[in-house]
Amino acid sequence: MRQQLEVAVRHSLAAQSRNRLAWILLVAFVPGWYLIIGSMIPHRGATFILRSNETRLVVDGHDLTLITAGLSAITLIAGFVVFAATRRAIPFDRRLILSGYRPAALITAKTAAALAVAAAVGGYAAVVILAFWRPAGLWSIAVAFILAAASYAALGLLVGVLVRGDLEGFFLIIMTALLDTFLENPVDNPLANKPILEFFPSYGPTQFAAAGAFHHQVLPGMVAVSLAWTAAFALLGLAVLRLRMPHSWMRGIRAGRLRTAASPGSR
Amino acid sequence: MNVLEAHGIRKSFGRHPVLAGVDLEIAAGELVAVVGENGSGKSTLLRILAGDLRPDRGSVTTRGRAGYCPQAVVLDDALTVDQHIRYFQAAYGISGAERAEALIARLGYGTSRRQPAGTLSGGTRQKLSLTLALLHEPAVLLLDEPYQGFDWETYLAFWDLAGELRAAGTAILVITHLVFEQERFDRICHLTAGRIEEGANRHAPAA
Repeated sequence: MRQQLEVAVRHSLAAQSRNRLAWILLVAFVPGWYLIIGSMIPHRGATFILRSNETRLVVDGHDLTLITAGLSAITLIAGFVVFAATRRAIPFDRRLILSGYRPAALITAKTAAALAVAAAVGGYAAVVILAFWRPAGLWSIAVAFILAAASYAALGLLVGVLVRGDLEGFFLIIMTALLDTFLENPVDNPLANKPILEFFPSYGPTQFAAAGAFHHQVLPGMVAVSLAWTAAFALLGLAVLRLRMPHSWMRGIRAGRLRTAASPGSR
Repeated sequence: MNVLEAHGIRKSFGRHPVLAGVDLEIAAGELVAVVGENGSGKSTLLRILAGDLRPDRGSVTTRGRAGYCPQAVVLDDALTVDQHIRYFQAAYGISGAERAEALIARLGYGTSRRQPAGTLSGGTRQKLSLTLALLHEPAVLLLDEPYQGFDWETYLAFWDLAGELRAAGTAILVITHLVFEQERFDRICHLTAGRIEEGANRHAPAA
């Protein structure tokens, strides 16, 4: 099991690191997106409510928009990378399991690889933001970005095992990420600061980043909210993935047992 | 001694019956072809024998482990040849590289070992797929259209390898829609209307 886990983690990371489109998006899209969004939004005051303690902040709308722009970029990339890797690997994983690979080793490796992608993408986007703004609480932005990337990596896994076609999956991830992160930004947003925003995946990371960057405050509850989204997406996705992997019928033959039979009508 | 026995295999997809009670036995060292028209259920039968698909009825008995090479080459395009080998060594629980080295040399694609599978030619992908099915020296080898994409030299190398495996006692089942050289097989079974019709034995099994 240990050998299988080590090999699966190493190869899952290697496979994800060879996603060329993801590299292009990281190198070109993240800074480009900051540049475009940053140049469009003026340095004007915007009201932002920290919902956990109902503190009303007046923040620089330009700087807050850079946070939500970063969130939209990394949620797209993390979701896309894990979705693509999940889709591509389904038949190959099936063959590995038929050959004796333990599903638990593959599932654990996929989870570890997805978290590594989230940490790398989130950390990178936090560092790149320094080219456009020097926030006081950069670490809180980095944590928020990693949390959001983890949620969307988990969503990418879930969508990857649920949808039938690549196009549907990409569309679902893009629309969810854009809508979610756009609505959390109060600048020019009719839903600004409305309670309904608490029920979106990027709510926790946005609140955490804004509290750290503009109010020198740490909101551990928002970390928990974000981790809950990640856990929900991941558990659902991994459960579906496990159901779609070869089961009892295959185990008998894989192990070379003497007899494997299907009773009438059983599946 | 039979290393593979399948009895009463039935499989339907919706209301469409594909296999209507297939019986098949293969002895150690026997090389058997299952032939049939497109859509006759050959690949469905092989997937059931490999454990990839559950039949509606019937039983499959294997003695020893099986090696399975599906018709559609199933690889991870982002991983290199060597990474595929290590993945399947971990799956089979084997550590030595000698077997892999020998198979790669035999099938003649040693220069591609560091290439990602997505950049390999169709024939080389097929060779890698075959190598992965043979790494653990299976007792029974299940091959679905195994020589699609092979050039003539590789085709001959494949049959040399099949001959060695037979001599070593490996049972080989080849699914194909065309049999060019019937004399290479011990038996040819026709899958017609969801059932196997046994062809005449042409050679005695090697073991």
